[in-house]
This record gives sequence, C-alpha cells and structure tokens, in this order.
Amino acid sequence: MSTTSNSITPDLNKLPFKTRIRPYLIVAPALIITIGIMIPFIMAIFLSLTNYSFRRPTFSFIAFQNWSRILSSREFWHALWVTIQYAFFSTLVEMVLGVCIAMLLNSLNNWFSKFLRVALIFPLMIAPITATIVWQLMLNSSVGIVEKFLNIFGVFNFPWAAAPSTAMLTVVMIDMWVNTSFVMLLVLAGLQSLPKSPFESAKIDGGSAWFNFVNLTLPMLKPSLYIALLFRLMSALQEYAIIFGLTKGGPGDTLMNLSLTSYQTGFKFQRIGQSLPYILVLWIIVFFTAKFIVKKQRAAQRQAAGLES
Amino acid sequence: MNKGSKRLLTITQNGLLFIYAIFALFPLIWMVLLSIKSDTQMYTTTFNFTPTLSNYTEVLLKTDYFKYLLDSLIVAGGAVIISVIAGVPAAYALARYDFKKKEDIAFQILSFKFAPEILVVLPLFMIYQTLGLYDSYFGLIWVYQLISMPLLIWVVRGYFEDISVEIEHAAQVDGYSWYQIFFKMLLPLIKPGLVSAALLAFIFAWNTFTFPLLLAGSKIQPITVAITKFLGTDTAHYGQLAVAATVSALPAIIFALCIQKHLVRGLSFGAVKG
Amino acid sequence: MSRITLENIHKTFGKVKALDGVSIDVKDKEFFVLFGPAGAGKTTILNCIAGIAMPEEGVVKFDGEIINLVETAKRNVAMVFENYALYPQMTVYDNMASPLRSDLYRQNEDVIKERVYAAAKMMKMENLLERLPSQLSNGQKQRVAMGRALVRTPNVFLMDEPLAHLDAKLRNAMRTELKEMQANFGTTSIYVTHDFMEAMSLGDRIAIVNQGKIVQIGTPDDIYYLACNEFVAQLMGDPEINILSGLLRKNGDNYSFLSNGSEFVLPADAALMNKLAAYDGKSVDIGIRPQHVMYSFSKDAGYRDYQVYSYESIGNKSVIEAYPAGHSGRGDTHTHVRMIAPNGLTIKIDQLIYIDFKLDHTMFFDGSSKEFIGCYNEAGIRALSAGKEEA
Repeated sequence: MSTTSNSITPDLNKLPFKTRIRPYLIVAPALIITIGIMIPFIMAIFLSLTNYSFRRPTFSFIAFQNWSRILSSREFWHALWVTIQYAFFSTLVEMVLGVCIAMLLNSLNNWFSKFLRVALIFPLMIAPITATIVWQLMLNSSVGIVEKFLNIFGVFNFPWAAAPSTAMLTVVMIDMWVNTSFVMLLVLAGLQSLPKSPFESAKIDGGSAWFNFVNLTLPMLKPSLYIALLFRLMSALQEYAIIFGLTKGGPGDTLMNLSLTSYQTGFKFQRIGQSLPYILVLWIIVFFTAKFIVKKQRAAQRQAAGLES
Repeated sequence: MNKGSKRLLTITQNGLLFIYAIFALFPLIWMVLLSIKSDTQMYTTTFNFTPTLSNYTEVLLKTDYFKYLLDSLIVAGGAVIISVIAGVPAAYALARYDFKKKEDIAFQILSFKFAPEILVVLPLFMIYQTLGLYDSYFGLIWVYQLISMPLLIWVVRGYFEDISVEIEHAAQVDGYSWYQIFFKMLLPLIKPGLVSAALLAFIFAWNTFTFPLLLAGSKIQPITVAITKFLGTDTAHYGQLAVAATVSALPAIIFALCIQKHLVRGLSFGAVKG
Repeated sequence: MSRITLENIHKTFGKVKALDGVSIDVKDKEFFVLFGPAGAGKTTILNCIAGIAMPEEGVVKFDGEIINLVETAKRNVAMVFENYALYPQMTVYDNMASPLRSDLYRQNEDVIKERVYAAAKMMKMENLLERLPSQLSNGQKQRVAMGRALVRTPNVFLMDEPLAHLDAKLRNAMRTELKEMQANFGTTSIYVTHDFMEAMSLGDRIAIVNQGKIVQIGTPDDIYYLACNEFVAQLMGDPEINILSGLLRKNGDNYSFLSNGSEFVLPADAALMNKLAAYDGKSVDIGIRPQHVMYSFSKDAGYRDYQVYSYESIGNKSVIEAYPAGHSGRGDTHTHVRMIAPNGLTIKIDQLIYIDFKLDHTMFFDGSSKEFIGCYNEAGIRALSAGKEEA
C-alpha cells in the first residue's frame, strides 16, 4: 500500500485484477458447456455444404448444391407448409383456450377452480411422447374410449391419425392437450398480478366489462401473452416428439414438418449434408420470429407499465 | 346484474370449466384405469372390471423397466447437477455484474432454448460417434445441458436480481469475503427458487425424447425412448403400456406438485414472476 | 478510530456524474454530517469510504493512508444502510451478531451476546431479538440495522439516514442517544441525513452536498448563520428562510433596501455596511428567518400590509404564510413571507395581517450570484462558532 501522499496514480482507481476478472471467471464454466453445444451449430452450417453421409468414410465440399436441390424440391416446401400449419393452428388454439380457461379460473374462487389450478398442470408435466401414446390408445378404434363416445353421436370409425384429412387435427389436439396449461398458467399469473387501482377507477367511470377488458386487462396482460406466445410458437415450429410418436410423419408425408424431414433424410437415408438445409431454414425462421416477439414483448411491457401508474 | 343472472353466469362458468377439465384430466384417469385392467377385460368393458396389479408386476419385475428409470435418472439428474454447479455462479454474474457483452452472453444462452433439437443432434451424432460418446451417459448428460442450463441460468438470475445488492454490501462491511457471502448469505436466500428451478429442469430433461432417441442406443435407454418399445410389439399389451406410461409420469407429477409456487416463474424463464 | 480524508473524488454511474470533485477531511472522533437534498450524492460518498464504490478519480485515506485498493471487508467500517439491508434469513440476534462472526472481526459467543444485548438495549428492542426481519416494522428494521453497526468498534461509523423511518418520538430519543454514544465511544462518525434538525443537533461539522459537490463545510452555527449562498440558507431551517429580492440604496449614512414597493431602512453595523458599499444601487436578496418576522392584526406603525395565504400547525407552533396586500402578489410565491405563530389563532384566509422584519437579523446575498455577502454581527457569530469548535 502506497503511503506517499497526493500521488494519484491511475492504479488507485482501478479495482484489483482479481476482482475485475471475477465475473468472467464465474461465467466461464457455463459458457464452456454452452459453447461446447454450440460447436454442432457451426458444424451444421459447414456440413450442409458437403455431401457427407454415414455410408461413406470421406466427403467433399459441394458448395450450395444441397441447398439449391432442397430449396427446389417439393419435400422442402411441403415440410415448410406443414411446419407453419402446425405451428399456427396449435399456437392459436392454445392461446385462445389458455386465455379463456385462465379467465374462468380467475373469476371463480370455489373448491373446483382451486383444484383445477393444481390439476391442470399435470398434462404439462407428462412427457409429450407419453401423452401421445396415451392418446393413441384413447383414439384406437378397438380399445379406444373416444370411439365409443363418438358412437353415441352416431359417428363411427373416425379415422384420426390414420387419414390425411384428419391427421393434422389429431396432432394439434394432442399438442393442445399437453400445452394449453402452459398458456393458462402464465395468463393466470398475469391476471392475478394485475394492479387493482386502474380497475377501481374504471369502475367509478362506469366502463362496460368489455371496454375494461379491451382497454385495461388486455394491454396489461400483453407482456405475459407475448411470453406465452414466444414459448409456444418456438416449440410448435420445431415439434418432433408428438408427430413422431403418433405417425412418424404419416400417413404418407402428411405430417412431415421440417424437423421430421431433416431427421428422416439424415438418419433414415443417412444423407447428413442434405438433411441440414431443412433444419437450418427452420433455425432461421425460429431465430427471427423469436427476436420479433421479444421486441414486441418489451414494447408491451413498457406500455403496461405506463398504464399502471 | 341481478342475483338470478349472476347465478346463471357462475353455473355457466363452472360448466365450461368442467368440460375442459374432462378433456384435460380424463386421459390421465383412463391411463391409470388401463394399467389396472387385465388383458382379457381390455376390449370388453370400459369402467366395469376387476382391478388387477398383474400389469404392474409384469412391467416392473419382468422387464428392464427399472433400468430405464435409472438411466433417465442418471442422465437427467447428472445434467441438472452440472447445470446447477456451472449455472448458478453464471446466473449470479449475469444478475450482479456489469461487464462487457453481458446481455449478449445471456441472450446466447437463452437462444439455445429455442434452437431446433434436430439441428444439434445431427452434427452431434457424428461427433459422438467419433469421440465414442454415442450411447454413453456422459454424452447424453452433455447434450441434456441444452435443456437444463438455459432454464437454470435464466430463472436463477431472476432470483439473484430479487436480492437487494445492499445485502451483499452489508455483508462485505461485516467482514465477509465474496465466497462467504455467496455461499452463506446468497445461496440460502435463493434456495427455494433454486430447488424449484432445478426440479423443473429435471422434469424437462426427464421428459425429453429427441436427444435420447437419436444419441442413445442399446446400452442406455431413458424411459421416454424405452416406453415406445412397449408400443412396438405386435400383440400390444395395452395394460402394460399404460403401466409404463403411468410410472414414468409419476416423478414429474410429484415434483411439479412440490414446486407449484415457483412453477410459472420457472416455465417462463423468469419473465413472468407469478 | 480514524481520520477520514477524501481528496477530489469523482464518481460517475453511466452518464450521470454522482460525485464531482468531492474533498472532505473528517477529523478523528468527529461527528460529521452530510446534509443535502435527495440525489445529491451523499450515499455515494459513504459508499466510496466503505469501498463499495470505486471512485474513478481521487483517493480515500484512513489516517493518512490511501485505502483505495483495500477491500470493503478489510476497511473495518460499520455502516447503516438506508434500506436496512438486513439478512432476511437470520433472526435479529443473528443479524446483529453477524459482523462479530466473520473471520476478520470474530469474537467469542459470550462477547457477542454481551455486545448484542447492549446494543439492543440502547435501541430499545431487547424483545425483538428472536424475530425475523420480515416480522418487523420499518422503524424496527432500522433499529436492527443500527444495532448491527453498533456492536462493533470500527474505524468509522457510516450512517445513511439511520433515523428516517422512525416515528417522531423515537427519533428524538435516538438522536440524543446517538450523540451521547458517539461522545462516549469517540468513534469517528459520518452521518447522512436530509433532516435539518438532525444535522443541526448531531453534527460537530456539517457538509452541505448538492449535485455531487460540497457546497459548504462548517459547524452548525456557521452554516445556519453564515450560509454561503441562498441554497444553503434555504436548506437549513424549517420553515424555510424568507428570501426577498430588491435593490440596495445608500441614503446619506444609512442604507435602505427597496423591495416590492416598500422601503426598509437598514440598522447600522459598520462591518456589514462596508461590505454592502459595493452593492449600492445593485440588486440584493435578503434572507430573514421566519422567527424574525413580527406580525400584528392591528395596524402598527412601520408595519406593512399583507394578507394571509395559509396558516398551518407544525406541532407545538404554527406557520403563517402571507402575501403582500392586494391580489397581485397572491400567486407569486417568491413574495410570500413565512412567520412563526402560536397554535390556535383564529385566522381566516385572505384576512389582513401587518408585518415587520427584525432587520438586524437579516443575511445579505448577491442578487445575481446568490452568494453570501454578509450579515449583522458577523464577527461575533464567527467567534462564537470558532469557540465551540475548539471545545
């Protein structure tokens, strides 16, 4: 420690090295692990430019051949269309239903709603693959309970996943069964943390229930809604387990989305190089959609904060 | 609003909830029912049957079911433990310190949550083959970080941010070193949040299907992959399948009940405080 | 026990300059008060002394030794945080014992018990020792925070608004206790407050802080009677000092002050008049404390016509605020005059009131720079203040 008075050296105003590097030091282990997982991402980009296959020991660089071939193939556009359809329908249904259930639960305060607040998290906690299997059993035409139920209404042998026309409906329904609770939980938490005072002043002003919902509840709920949308949409865009468990993409190629197509090309047909453009396109879609929603969410949060005060 | 129409509204609300509750909960009840039905009664009746535990003894004692559970436990548990050890200090640093690239690093970690699983698995499959990590505990634990690490870091970061920085300053003034403050003051404070985040990460890791499907082979078979084998046989024993599904879902459901209070916060990565 | 010196401390947070060249020299055993409006940088000064904040420029010295690079833990300072900063998972007892259980300042449990009980007794909270912070009121939390600092024998006590959340009665009692305790222990103390009464009654010296700078340092008397500018004069005193703007004019041997259409003939004071000579015909502000404003409800000679703006009790006395008669002055609060009155008067708003000033208690400020020019009996005040400091 220097005791010479008044000699102001720059060192005196800098934290010790040990203290300065501490943040980096303690982030490092987590970063190393995540970077370790990042390597495949970079490799994926490189390999998509090669003709790599599990069958051959060597591979060569073929530039954009894979890409041009895939982007001009019917499989790709079909897979993209399936991906978008699936993501759109499942997210839409889950958001709408999730909000409705949350509002119902929020408006009631009896033992039934209290029980449901807990019980409705079960579907969310079960492995999607397990949920798919259970639904498969339920929809099964010989032991399935759903068939027996539909028979009451005179509907026989509803094809569910077996027919191209109803396969999408079936997977979306299962996704909805698993994930509606997610939206419900987030919205319910959002509803319960709404500040009381704006509603009280609205009451004095005598606004209608619908007016209050549109002008107060919805804007203040928006941040939570965007978070729910973000998580649901991102996971629906890349859904794999439910479709794989139910039909492996069938019947035919009805449910072959980008994830499944990529998986099939890579593992079943063992053409790694060709399988990657599918999934890289999906990555790009996911990345920009996520960025967009996060931006929207931040704006909504600022707006909601403005309403509260 | 008069009393009558208010009553009608309440009845309608309860009715709508009841319909949804049947949709959401019946499959689970039915799964349990199937698991205690004998194969002979499987096709004939729906609710009218003699309960039996024979499916349970078949599955639990005569197959490798416990081995599958153990594999899941090792892989998911291992991933969570590593995530906690590496992730909690990182979460602290991202919450407290103001350093270059901080938000970039945080967002990078979050972006893994949204990365398509297949994108990671395809190249990783090759790497694992080369390194001999394919079908190994370590290989699976490593890739499971993709599920557990972002969740843990983001959720725990929020819990650290909830602690007033003045508490740390007070502890410094009291004469404690950084390590002592971290372990003796801060960790006890975030413990409930940390435990819930870890349990939730465990549930997600336990439930994951894509990674073990493609990166595990015959040696290691986590339950999510193993369960499809019960489906695959020609003469499907639906009762046994139901047992396999029920038992595999139990840990997740029990843990979820334990962490109810923190669930929303965990599910939304800390974005919704709940 | 130490002398604490800050030399030219600069500290910024992002783009905000929190401290802009702060230098103070706190003597050993001194009770030093940092006084100023919210956001002035008082807490940041404490943080720099404690080592919680690292200044970008300047040095902090304990007993002449530069301690910039010494970690907080090793500086042996005791600090009371404004937001209490209690450890939520620990009982009150454990909170207070915490500094004595750290490796650096460890004591055996018997000593800890003795010290904690002594501090608890002083803070009147022996009955709270087993509670958790979440079970305490804000005032109680603040006392625990004080207690946690008092169990130690540090180089310096740093106290950030430690009495702010106590109720009035307890605050007065604590103020007395604190002063007494500090006199007994003789530990250097630096005390942040925005309460003028606390600053006046506790401080051996007071530093006025504003916008990251030290405006004035002095004894309470110095600062109260010889405020270096209008800002300080307004800060010190409740109700606030009256500032009247006007013109200074020499009339033969006398000076008079013209303000708002009235002429005030200033009493003689040779030293003051010498200083005022330079301001003949220039704009000058005068400051008159409310207790030096006289009022009457009947028209007395030399009294000026005002009308009542408000009449509010501030405890055992009241404040009348009045504006110059005629409605022109009502909305212009600069021309308002505050004065002390007893409670329980029957006063109607806008009723006439007649006012005169004890001009021999006025302070004079430069009309444009707002800097202190002089006051009556300045030499006497300075002598008194210096004498107190000696003792």
